[in-house]
Amino acid sequence: MAQIFDRSSNSLTRFSLVLYGVILIGLGVTLNYLQRSPWVTRQGQRAPQPVPFSHKHHVQGLGLQCQYCHTSVEKSSYAGIPPTKTCMNCHAQIWTNAELLAPVRNSWATNQSIVWTKVHDLPDYVYFNHSIHVNKGIGCSSCHGRIDNMPLTYQASTLQMEWCLNCHRNPAENLRPTSQIYQMAWKGPSTLHPVWCANSATTPGTPTAQLVNCTTHDPDNEGAELAALDMPNGPQSPRFNDMKIWSSSGEGSIHAQVPINQHYVKFTDQRDLGKYLLVQYHIRPPRQLTSCDTCHR
Amino acid sequence: MENEHETVTGDRKDTSPKAVSKTAQLIETAQARLAGMTGKRYWQTVDELADTPDFQDALRREFPQHASEWVDSVSRRGFMKLMGASIALAGLTGCTKQPDEPIYPYVKQPEDLVLGKPVYFATAHPFPMGAVPLLVKSEAYRPIKIEGNPEHPMNRGTTDAYTQGTLLGMYDPDRSQRVLYRGDTRDYVNFVADFTAMLRDKSSGGGQGLYFLSSTVVSPTLAAQWKAASAKYPNAKWIQYEPVNRDSARRASKQAFGDYVDAQYRLDQADVILSLDADFLSGLWYPGFLKLAADYATRRSMNPGVEMNRLYSVESTPSTTGFKAEHRLRMRASQMEGFAAAIAAALGAGSAPSGAAWTEEQTAYLNAVAKDLKTNAGKCVVIPGEQAGTGVHLAAIAINQALGNVGKTVVYTETVNPMPTVQIDEMKQLIGDLNAGKVDWLVILDTNPVYDAPADLSFEKAMGHAKTVAHLGLYVDETGSIADWHINGTHYLETWSDVRAYDGTVSVVQPMINPLYGGKSAHNIVQMMLADPDMSPNAAVQQTWNSVLGGKSVDQNGDIHNGLDPQWRKALHDGWIANTAFAPRTMSAKSTALASVAVPDPSAMEVIFRPDPTIYDGRYANLGWMQELPKPLTNLSWDNAALMSIQTLAKLNLVESDVIEIGYQGRKIKASAMVMYGHPDQSITIHLGYGRRNSGRVGTGPGFDAYPIRLADSPLFISGVTVKKTGESYACASTKSHYIDHRDLFARKYGFEEEAEEAKPDTAPHSLEGREAEQRGIIRVATLAEYKQNPGFATDLEDETAPPRSTTLFPEWDYSKGYQWALSIDLNSCVGCNACVVACYAENNIAVVGKHQVQVGRDMQWIRIDTYFEGDLDKPKAYFQPMTCQQCENAPCEQVCPVGATVHTPEGLNAMIYNRCVGTRYCSNNCPYKVRRFNWLLFSDYTTESYKLMRNPDVTVRSRGVMEKCTYCVQRISAVKIRADKENRAVQDGEIVTACQQACPTQAITFGNINDKNSRVSKIKAQERNYTVLADLNTRPRTSYIAGVVNPNPELMENA
Repeated sequence: MAQIFDRSSNSLTRFSLVLYGVILIGLGVTLNYLQRSPWVTRQGQRAPQPVPFSHKHHVQGLGLQCQYCHTSVEKSSYAGIPPTKTCMNCHAQIWTNAELLAPVRNSWATNQSIVWTKVHDLPDYVYFNHSIHVNKGIGCSSCHGRIDNMPLTYQASTLQMEWCLNCHRNPAENLRPTSQIYQMAWKGPSTLHPVWCANSATTPGTPTAQLVNCTTHDPDNEGAELAALDMPNGPQSPRFNDMKIWSSSGEGSIHAQVPINQHYVKFTDQRDLGKYLLVQYHIRPPRQLTSCDTCHR
Repeated sequence: MENEHETVTGDRKDTSPKAVSKTAQLIETAQARLAGMTGKRYWQTVDELADTPDFQDALRREFPQHASEWVDSVSRRGFMKLMGASIALAGLTGCTKQPDEPIYPYVKQPEDLVLGKPVYFATAHPFPMGAVPLLVKSEAYRPIKIEGNPEHPMNRGTTDAYTQGTLLGMYDPDRSQRVLYRGDTRDYVNFVADFTAMLRDKSSGGGQGLYFLSSTVVSPTLAAQWKAASAKYPNAKWIQYEPVNRDSARRASKQAFGDYVDAQYRLDQADVILSLDADFLSGLWYPGFLKLAADYATRRSMNPGVEMNRLYSVESTPSTTGFKAEHRLRMRASQMEGFAAAIAAALGAGSAPSGAAWTEEQTAYLNAVAKDLKTNAGKCVVIPGEQAGTGVHLAAIAINQALGNVGKTVVYTETVNPMPTVQIDEMKQLIGDLNAGKVDWLVILDTNPVYDAPADLSFEKAMGHAKTVAHLGLYVDETGSIADWHINGTHYLETWSDVRAYDGTVSVVQPMINPLYGGKSAHNIVQMMLADPDMSPNAAVQQTWNSVLGGKSVDQNGDIHNGLDPQWRKALHDGWIANTAFAPRTMSAKSTALASVAVPDPSAMEVIFRPDPTIYDGRYANLGWMQELPKPLTNLSWDNAALMSIQTLAKLNLVESDVIEIGYQGRKIKASAMVMYGHPDQSITIHLGYGRRNSGRVGTGPGFDAYPIRLADSPLFISGVTVKKTGESYACASTKSHYIDHRDLFARKYGFEEEAEEAKPDTAPHSLEGREAEQRGIIRVATLAEYKQNPGFATDLEDETAPPRSTTLFPEWDYSKGYQWALSIDLNSCVGCNACVVACYAENNIAVVGKHQVQVGRDMQWIRIDTYFEGDLDKPKAYFQPMTCQQCENAPCEQVCPVGATVHTPEGLNAMIYNRCVGTRYCSNNCPYKVRRFNWLLFSDYTTESYKLMRNPDVTVRSRGVMEKCTYCVQRISAVKIRADKENRAVQDGEIVTACQQACPTQAITFGNINDKNSRVSKIKAQERNYTVLADLNTRPRTSYIAGVVNPNPELMENA
């Protein structure tokens, strides 16, 4: 019987086998990149909005605190989108005729919502709770990036499950003192900018903000007074009075209430600070944080 | 499709004599098997006992016949085409991006609203048998879950199935949405103009010709408004009528005391309880149900110092109350009055009826009960059934008085409903006036007489004689569609009103939401007759309670308030007005003699009418949750049926599903026959409320209308009906056999010798429910004497069969740290009332699937109440067991999931990750408890707008192809854990309450952390009666059960 295939088809077969392999791997690699690409995750994309609201202008420029608008971020799963009323608090007085603000005035006049497009849109089967994150030492910028530098708001992170898990597996990387939650520029301690922390309460039931005092000013030097100003709830917090650790000089003044004889620990590395806060803030172990029922119900 | 119907109803269509012998044969086989069994003989259905081919066929698969097949009438070819396309599309949808989602912020956000955090408001569910005080969970001002008010003295946080279901009622898209005049849309102002014009005309005649027909008035404010209106229009008339009413109690009370009073039973004080056809443990249809059930359960807690009570029940239609009783006597409805009088006579409270002949069994029961009551005089109570005759009530009054129970276990108070009447007498009067042409205007408020008035009164025809008929209601129902005016009513969650709980405590009903469709309530209509016609219901309610709440009050800042503001706010906040409970009245019965007790004809066939356990008198017919809810004992869903004993079925030459025609005085209805174990012979029970002709998309159609043979003079039962077989067949949907497993046959077939031997193939039935209930102790129960002798009876068996913890393929996991959640269910307290099932619907966004899907075993309830019968076919005992995911530590489902969609959490939960599930259903196959539910089709309603408002935002709405199951309300666990973590403290015991636990009227369910040895659940689980189901499989369930203990009367043990 005559040969059906020419000898050359042997090499052709070999080549095509290799080609299939290359195509398969290529397809895998492409899909892998594709599903992590901004096209899918929307990372960095600026959705069209009715008003080109600038966080940069309002936060960096004017110094508005996050919670002025996102009022429920510490209390609820939902940080809150400000009602038109919040805009009108100022814009009834300034920029009253700006064309850009017409949708706001329109909403105010007609009692219809301003319809924004959601920038950070988690899938509906994921249950995310803002309040537990900001109460446990995760700052706004950890997830939302330098929103104070964004003229138009975009999603800084991928918001994919692997991104969530990266932190839930090792939260120490991102923990910061609760006094720094709304500090957009927070970078973590370094040798040049150390952080000093002291635990101030261990009684169960103490809010996280009162568990630890952290300061960026050396409490052993003249920075003690400035450190007091750094304190989360202000030095007049009743809890500090209970502790009876105040210096006796200058009674009644702010200086009098600086907890100068607390034992401060100096941190020059985020990992060390994270590990310290992990314990102080009673952060659940990764095994629990990565349990499916934490986010899926 | 065609084929399927064949098989579902298949041989049931066979009406030849062969079928006759079939039922008889069935009974014979079943009885033979029963006789061959020793010890406790459990079974669920007679088919299972007799092990019929049908039954075996049903068991061959995990889900019943055709459950896994395509149900739409699409050809195979069409199916392939569709599948091809959908696979392609399914692949594509995986790649699509999420669509942009809009955000609609408030323009002005309410000050106290924190979005994402639910708020709870106190209100109450008005019900003719006494209101249920509530705390309603409100998510951004949308009521999304109804819970009992935990601080209320009457219900202490518990609710019932109806109340849970009313939430769906508010969001029902079929509700009436506009005012209609003869079918055309009008504005409410048009009606107001018409009505006020009429009032002007009639003011000279004192309202002559103006009639109101309402449902039972439960609102003191409405009664006050009417009182004021009738002072202005003295000739106007107000009639109350509901098909399920308290006429027997009212008549008895009038005769005995000369006044209308309500009886409140104090079951916490009662050692011996005799129920005379009183179904007081099953549902809201018994006045004071929640308190009665709770008090009954406290006496069965077996806590030290609590003496166990004993319940006797004589009943004409089987109920969960009867089966909870230590001694249950089935008795035909026509004999009840005579038997009640005989007991009274035996206790020296009246004379025995002459001519009544009691069987040996009945005599023995009578003597034993009488003796037991007498010994416990002052510590016993006799409770008459609301749907029993006046004579039963009179006998109960007489016995309670003779035994000195009054003031101790029974107190008489003012009536809870402000305008007590004998409703049927009023209705007859109204029909007379209508037919005489005396009625110009008939205003029908929240009632549906065209559907449910006694048939012989021909309400629809009589209504035609009125010049104008106006109807206010939630639906354009049978009445609303033919009335001249129809006004869309408000749901109680949308309006202001007030009600009394059964202890008399007043609750203000406050709206949770603006009326969805801008409806009006009865308060608005009646107010139009008064001096201030535009006064809002809110103002009217405040006015009523002004004198109670009002006066000067001083607030915390020392400011003096005139008027009722702080007090009013307190009443709204607390959910009730303090100190408004009724004080007991000192009453002495004057005459309790019954005019005459007719000697019933023992051969006459009877029909008993009862409110339906899920849709009551038909008012909840359009609620999918309630329709699909399997009824207690029968597990019947979506229908009612002619319930009868299996002997009667055989005697009438019927098989189940045969449609019979029941004739009475020239009127007839049809109904499908169904066996109710423990039903008296020669008697049929039909539940009311079905066969609705005009009740929206859900309620119109299912079941059989019993009202056409319910006549004005015999609304409770009729005697001497004719029963004819029609030759038709009607397949009902019963969930009873859905979860039966077939492990024995499997074992035999595949040669697991040891197990097969155990199975004793000749005698044992082959289901999880039957054989295993017996041999593996799914149900464990002992008498009080046995328990005292051997307190560890429940786990004796376990010690023998349970494998050591080390016998497992999987590595040991350390559960000794952190929270470890667990649940305990007390089978001694569980009364099988279904409240937990409906609460679970609301909490977990469970879908309704429809009758056909239920027939093929696709019902979605996460918790089910299994009923196990034990013993004789005619006089069985029954045990109820709520069954839901057991959260096994060694979960068999987790091992087989190929995608890791069901996994264990460190806190011991068997978590279900819906978005990961690909629908292989292996987990369900491998679940020995059969508690997993699969979304075969897209059961969740994603399109109806109003349902979107109702859903719990913390729970995923599951899509097609996804497995789901109980999660111990993981969303509630998470919410509390987050709250506790924020406060840097541990979760406290009792802080997390699951939805089923919250609803349970008897507090049979307890949830908590078993690593906390002081938690309630740990303490309960430490009891000796604690056991787990199927412990021999080494699944180590986190849910455990507390074995039941019964307290039978030794004298009746032989008959028991």
